[in-house]
Amino acid sequence: MSWDVIFFFVLAAGTLVGGIATVAAENPVHSAVGLLVSFINIAGIFVMLGSEFLAVLQIIVYTGAVLVLILFVVMLIDPENLPAFYVAQPLQRYVSLLLGLVLLLEIGAAIITRTAMEAIGPHSPAWIESAGGNIQAIGQVLFSEYALALEIASLVLGVGVIGAVVLGVPERLGRMAGLEKATISLGHSRGLNPQLPAGHKFETPMDIPAERYDVPEGPRRVIMTKSADEYKHPGETAQGTRR
Amino acid sequence: MGDQPIWITFIVTLIIMLVLLLGMAYTTWVERKILARFQDRLGPTRTGPAGLLQPLADAVKLMGKEDLVPRGADRKMFLWAPMISFVAAVLSVSVIPFGGTVEIFGQSVNLFIADLNVGALFLLAAGSIGTYGIILAGMSSGNRYSLLGGLRGGAQVISYELVLGFSLVGIFLISGSMSLGDIVAQQKQTIGIGPFEIQNWFILSQPLAFVLFMIGAVAENNRAPFDLPEAESELIAGHMTEYSSFRFALFYLGEYIAILIMCLFASTLFLGGTAGPGADRFWGLGILWLVLKVVAFFFFYVWLRATLPRFRFDQLMGLAWKVLIPLALVNVLLTAFFRLLANGQVF
Repeated sequence: MSWDVIFFFVLAAGTLVGGIATVAAENPVHSAVGLLVSFINIAGIFVMLGSEFLAVLQIIVYTGAVLVLILFVVMLIDPENLPAFYVAQPLQRYVSLLLGLVLLLEIGAAIITRTAMEAIGPHSPAWIESAGGNIQAIGQVLFSEYALALEIASLVLGVGVIGAVVLGVPERLGRMAGLEKATISLGHSRGLNPQLPAGHKFETPMDIPAERYDVPEGPRRVIMTKSADEYKHPGETAQGTRR
Repeated sequence: MGDQPIWITFIVTLIIMLVLLLGMAYTTWVERKILARFQDRLGPTRTGPAGLLQPLADAVKLMGKEDLVPRGADRKMFLWAPMISFVAAVLSVSVIPFGGTVEIFGQSVNLFIADLNVGALFLLAAGSIGTYGIILAGMSSGNRYSLLGGLRGGAQVISYELVLGFSLVGIFLISGSMSLGDIVAQQKQTIGIGPFEIQNWFILSQPLAFVLFMIGAVAENNRAPFDLPEAESELIAGHMTEYSSFRFALFYLGEYIAILIMCLFASTLFLGGTAGPGADRFWGLGILWLVLKVVAFFFFYVWLRATLPRFRFDQLMGLAWKVLIPLALVNVLLTAFFRLLANGQVF
């Protein structure tokens, strides 16, 4: 057995172990680390196939960006608050099984049509050599043959970016569209005593007399109104008279 | 770029690694000395002449400390995280060219470990794996400060890696290659300014990219003024808070080696790498020039640390996404336009 074959089996075994760890690990962070191992081993296989560019992209894009974002999400949730992570719904389970089978069949079909039926694609090593190397070859094919697919992919990514912006700045967008629903304030300027007059705007806690802070025992209420002065205590009407 | 027997590659690798580790130890000494001068102090003076043995004393001290694992920690990940950080930093030296192929004792020797055709991207990829050291350390320590440090480190490195990557695109467009060896060779062409013939280093044709690259490099190395992940006034030591003994030292090693690599990378990309007077005649002079450039860059790092106050986190992210990345995109567009103009493909 040549060294190439041995290295390939080591890398393939690493990929599989990483993949199994991703699915089987109890802790979501360990799952992410399993995925990391898997990605790095796949990059190794790309290097063995002579496509260093894909290997480096695999590491920069998948391990350097995508997986870091997954880790962020996983890090900030407490696994004990997330029983659904371990026990999938029956529907999810069957659909994921089905999708996995479809993917497996697809890969199997690709391997069989490319090897057993000897229909090797046009991008042979000689063709890559004539294009001037891996990077140049990928660039040429991507921006000529697959230009439409590339543009559609970038459109999808663009939608994703806009969606992230919409989710990220709802207050400012709401204010621009006049749709602003509520502000959340934990301490109202009047405290919880409706007898007191509404405080002036931009009142800082320093200006508020001490007796306004007659907050009862127990957890503080979260008060949601358009602005702090529009808040009405229960039983208070717009004119400020008590029912 | 001739082929050589594998044992020569091993010897060259060994020498480069040893020099890198020793160099790292003495960058800490240099930093402490320069920083002390900036702050009107003396720095280390007691251990050896001018405190020159201080790095060795620090290493011995750190190895003698107890290796603690906090009770709330995720044990396995806590133990592995520093190694990820260290290995990723050391790995990236393998694509830096210290010269071409030279004759030593009748053997032809390559003065680099590997000349990948994607060398520049390989450095970025190694850097992005190094981030996992910070993130996993922060999350496995079972400490809120560590967690915050890890989160900050991750977000910062993702953003500034984009800045770094985009600032390199201009160079790739001009040189037509991502191999660091080719990029160095490309910078050996000379241009005439008046009566002088100077080498066409990429800092001349890509000044904006150079500025962006330096800002990105300082942030990527988590150095002041971008040292948010380990901001001691808010987070104690960020992701390193719970580490002691040699695991702490591994983080430290990783961090300083990453700084050295960034300095080497910047010299290679923008200052012609080993180029300099007499470097064509004797390869040793080339290495000397490279070391001098690295020292200059490192002095710049320390100078920044001594001068600038720390950024706030929202300022840091705002700077990357609203200022640096748009500027880098403008740089790419301009470079592409002038490249086409030079080729006669416009108008």
